[in-house]
Amino acid sequence: MVGVVWHANFRFLSRHPWQIFLAVLGVALGVAVVVAVGLANTSAMRAFRLSSRAVSGSATDQIIGGPGGLRERLYTHLRVDAGIESIVPIVDGYVEAKDETLHIVGVDPLAESGTAGDLAGTGAGAVRRLLTEPGTLLLGRATARRMGLKVGDSLTIRCAGRRHTIVLAGLLPSAGAAVAQDGLAITDISTAQIVTGQIGQLSRIDLTLPRGATGRRMRARIAGLLPAGTRLESARARTGTMVQMTRAFRTNLTAMSLLALIVGMFLIYNTMTFAVLQRRQLIGMLRAMGVTRREVFSGILVEALFLGAIGTTVGVALGVALGEVLVHLVTRTINDLYFVVSVTQLLITPAPILEGAALGIGATVLASLTPALEASRSTPASAMRHSAIEQRAHVLAPRLAIAGGTLAATALVFLALPTRSLVLGFAVLFMVIVGLVLIAPLMVAWLSAGACAVVVRMPGRSGGVLARFALRGITASLSRTGVAIAALMLAVATTVGVGVMIQSLRVTVRQWLSSTLRADIYVSVPQLDPGRTPQTIDPRIIADIRRIPGISGITSARRVTIETVRGPTQIVAVDFAPGRTPRFRLKEGDARTAWADFDADRAVLVSEPYAYHNRTRVGTDLRLLTGRGYLSLPVAGIFYDYGSEQGVILMHRQLYERDFGDHGVSSLGLYIRPGMSTTRVITAVRAAAAHRQMLIARSNRAIRSASLKVFDRAFAITGVLKTLAVVIAVVGILNALMALQMERSHELAVLRAIGFTPGQIWGLVTAQTGFMGFCAGLLALPVGLALALLLIHVINRRAFGWSMETVLTSSVLIQALVLALAAALVAGLYPGWRMARANPADVLREE
Amino acid sequence: MNMRQRYILLLAALAAAAAAVAIIVHGYRHRAIPPALNLGAVLGTGTSSGYARADHPRQFRFPRDFGPHPAFKTEWWYFTGNLASALGRRFGYELTLFRFSLTPHPVRSPSRWSTNQVYVAHFAVTDPADRRFRFFQQSARAAIGLAGSQAAPFRVWVYNWSVRAPAGADWPWRLHARAKGVALNLELSPLVAPVLQGDQGLSRKGPGPGNASYYYSIPRLKTRGTLSLEKRSFSVKGLTWMDREWSTSALAPDEAGWDWFGLQLSDGADLMFYRLRLINGSTSPMSQGSIVSRHGHVTRLTAADVRIRILAHWRSPRGGTYPAQWRLSVIPEHLNLVVTPILSDQELDVGIRYWEGAVNVRGRCNGRPVRGEGYVELTGYAPGPRRPGP
Repeated sequence: MVGVVWHANFRFLSRHPWQIFLAVLGVALGVAVVVAVGLANTSAMRAFRLSSRAVSGSATDQIIGGPGGLRERLYTHLRVDAGIESIVPIVDGYVEAKDETLHIVGVDPLAESGTAGDLAGTGAGAVRRLLTEPGTLLLGRATARRMGLKVGDSLTIRCAGRRHTIVLAGLLPSAGAAVAQDGLAITDISTAQIVTGQIGQLSRIDLTLPRGATGRRMRARIAGLLPAGTRLESARARTGTMVQMTRAFRTNLTAMSLLALIVGMFLIYNTMTFAVLQRRQLIGMLRAMGVTRREVFSGILVEALFLGAIGTTVGVALGVALGEVLVHLVTRTINDLYFVVSVTQLLITPAPILEGAALGIGATVLASLTPALEASRSTPASAMRHSAIEQRAHVLAPRLAIAGGTLAATALVFLALPTRSLVLGFAVLFMVIVGLVLIAPLMVAWLSAGACAVVVRMPGRSGGVLARFALRGITASLSRTGVAIAALMLAVATTVGVGVMIQSLRVTVRQWLSSTLRADIYVSVPQLDPGRTPQTIDPRIIADIRRIPGISGITSARRVTIETVRGPTQIVAVDFAPGRTPRFRLKEGDARTAWADFDADRAVLVSEPYAYHNRTRVGTDLRLLTGRGYLSLPVAGIFYDYGSEQGVILMHRQLYERDFGDHGVSSLGLYIRPGMSTTRVITAVRAAAAHRQMLIARSNRAIRSASLKVFDRAFAITGVLKTLAVVIAVVGILNALMALQMERSHELAVLRAIGFTPGQIWGLVTAQTGFMGFCAGLLALPVGLALALLLIHVINRRAFGWSMETVLTSSVLIQALVLALAAALVAGLYPGWRMARANPADVLREE
Repeated sequence: MNMRQRYILLLAALAAAAAAVAIIVHGYRHRAIPPALNLGAVLGTGTSSGYARADHPRQFRFPRDFGPHPAFKTEWWYFTGNLASALGRRFGYELTLFRFSLTPHPVRSPSRWSTNQVYVAHFAVTDPADRRFRFFQQSARAAIGLAGSQAAPFRVWVYNWSVRAPAGADWPWRLHARAKGVALNLELSPLVAPVLQGDQGLSRKGPGPGNASYYYSIPRLKTRGTLSLEKRSFSVKGLTWMDREWSTSALAPDEAGWDWFGLQLSDGADLMFYRLRLINGSTSPMSQGSIVSRHGHVTRLTAADVRIRILAHWRSPRGGTYPAQWRLSVIPEHLNLVVTPILSDQELDVGIRYWEGAVNVRGRCNGRPVRGEGYVELTGYAPGPRRPGP
């Protein structure tokens, strides 16, 4: 008997290849997006972990210091005077070479092996050159090949605006660690100090301590030897903090990819339901022949599993291809916003692929459970009746709506919980989405009923009949149209929600930029690594700039990352130009007293994300580890800031210089006397810097547009994912329409037979699909807005600690409607054409 | 096909997909950490031109010549000694600090890490009672105080291994080394004046001009202090031999290695002899030595003055066979000695391999029985890179 079921199913599917194709495509697209995002995310993070491991070797701990790193003498003190073994000094930084960013890691090849200094496999001559020739480096084989360099070639590198000529002395041993070595340049510690401008300093000291009690004892002993302002930290914890920094960003991407999978799931559900519906007669016959319910059930499930497996396989392959594109977008954003990670290739790891595969097959099975149950439950007689499932759908629609409403309402209750969990935030988001989607079929029924009522009153007989015919058709096959509309609605709602969120953030950021950037010209050091390497402007250049005529005031700022118990924290130390009171908008705190306390070095200000993540309020005391011990200061105000999602601490320059002993300047803001030419001053600034240091001097306008460009780049990947969701939804609509066409070929043939023209039939189909698109678009608006509000006020807040205004423009809403209509109409083109073209006689003869 | 077959087919397809994934993943396993740096190779490369050469006898002056001679390519401070605890437990120790110039001229750079001077140190303790030989190596650049040497006040160090004169005095020197549970703290006081080896301190190693080193020894340093082995600590006393040598040219191309003997005899005499072995197995005529009488009288020994017969061999578990007992006859002095290691395995495996071990001496001098202790160094027996030599 089982053989009969299989045979029947197989023959059925082989007669409907497009159906198989669409189902497989649906699964494949959903899986592809999940796999691609997963791979891109893990590639970026793994590359980061691998390269930090390649640099730190087996180091278990690190000694890290203040803004300028560590004094090199500390290493001598620990190694020689205190006799601590297995420690190695590291000086690192980022340089630009041939349009690439290289991570320069300066090591002492003679220090204890097992860590970065380990250069075995590299030719002895190359190591000798590293030691004895300043300005030599080693590169990984792949990196050297990509940059077109042979051993002995020289190249120009730029760091902190200074150029250095450096010679490739040799290649790193290819120990299978190609990814870890990507973009890595090993130099002697002396060369790294010179190139990155850290003479006399170390970036950190790596330690390899044994496990257990001995390790703990040594750790305590070393910690006791460290001067104020330096700290011993576990290497894993440190890499972890860095990876953690990007967590919110990556969670958002994952959520977007899951959204695509959900849309894909609708598609599978639709396909499977339709496949069952089409075979009701067949199933009825089989049941009448004695095939058991279990056999029918498992037959359909196996079929779904089979389609799911094919779709998943195709999806994984597609996902890998798509991942290649996404990994560059992800890396670019991480490089823009967090830290430098060089990934030039996709790292294919098992986890994302297995996750994608599990989701793909799981989603297929889940989506086909209902149709399989439905098919197996029906009695042989009822199974032969077409209308049974539709009746059930109509009974079900209000129930689904109630369930959906309850789900969404429950989700909102969760929001009231006193937690900041991002994952819970996303859970709420998904619950609301699913809840609203469940309401959709009922809405569709109401909308088409409403539209019918309108059409009846419309003048013009035949048009009215056709329109009513079209509308009733949608309601009559609610089980399919409802799902297709829901899928399209979800996809469009996503574009609305994400669109409104991005627009709101963009408007907020633009306003923030114009209120923060007050100076006419900004001068800064080109910074490859956001925040980590302390680059400074040559003081001689600053002196020269001060002498440029036409400048009425200079604001100087120092942006450094200091190590705190909570990981790296940014400090911005500012000395505002006289009379140029800052106009940062304060979220909390009284502007007048806050700035007065700030000027008097009595308090600091923190940015909103800092306050959010560290639960800081006005009046909270901050404890900062400085070169002179702990500095304790109250927070006088919390300002809006979108420049860093970890948050920044703003302090007066005087205070910073006193406590951190750092007199460097990272950037200058120049105010120009009225009537002076900005371009002329910029030229003068460049002249002052010429031959000393390459500085970026940009007008206020240029820097604003540059900032917005970074912003747009950060959301490029979101755009890609949004588009994919819409593509999947279009496939869904196409699928539903094809199904409808097949099912209703008889009715249409009758219409043709009684004198309707092919054009009228085509019009009928177009009206139908148009109405479906309209429904989806209309329903997508409130759902999209709900999504936007959740994204703005829950997800973004929990992920980044940003608050922003909700900016709603009619264009987003109109775009959504147009998108839904267009998607539906495009999907209706082919089915419409086929229906119009069908020969009624053939169809009727088949009966 | 029935249902079961199809399930199997499906499972097989899934298994194949999983296997494919596993294979892809396996290809991406990484190891970022390569094995240890071949220090010997790094230090051994480079030419000898541009460095100073030991090509004429020179005036030795102290304490100046306790310090470094950076114009020469290679230099060492060699401390070997036989020690005994209060209860008579024997130990041997070696602390050697090598200096290498990587280039003839200093490196010019704003970074204080830049230098052409590199130090390598070997530290070994022989414990015949436990049949254990522990050895360690450290290397460092002579920059920011990590390693270096100076004449006055005397100090030579590689990280926390050092030999130095006390503040405000020339002697006793303090020797300190510590590694993985082994710690040695000694005080060294000379019992004899420095002995200039070879021709007034110019020690020829090969026929070519400048194929020589400057070489002096303090063969007898009274030694006392403490030795800690893991949790046990011993108060120890004994004698140390110090060798100081610096040169630029390595061994002649036909020389395979050397056997060096430094023996302190019970009659107060100190015997040094090195036999340069040629690749063909014969002894180079450049082999030489000296014997210092208890009154400080130095007699030079030539290759013809000393006859060495190997009485036993030892096969290293790391490869290579070493001589392990000798009959050493100094013909003009009527001295006949049997030299026996206190432990067979005293081979250091530090990238390069050589044997440096404490020995016992028994024999007769002019018919009278004589005993002694000392150190023997054997190089060029193990396959692999050669130790940089004089």
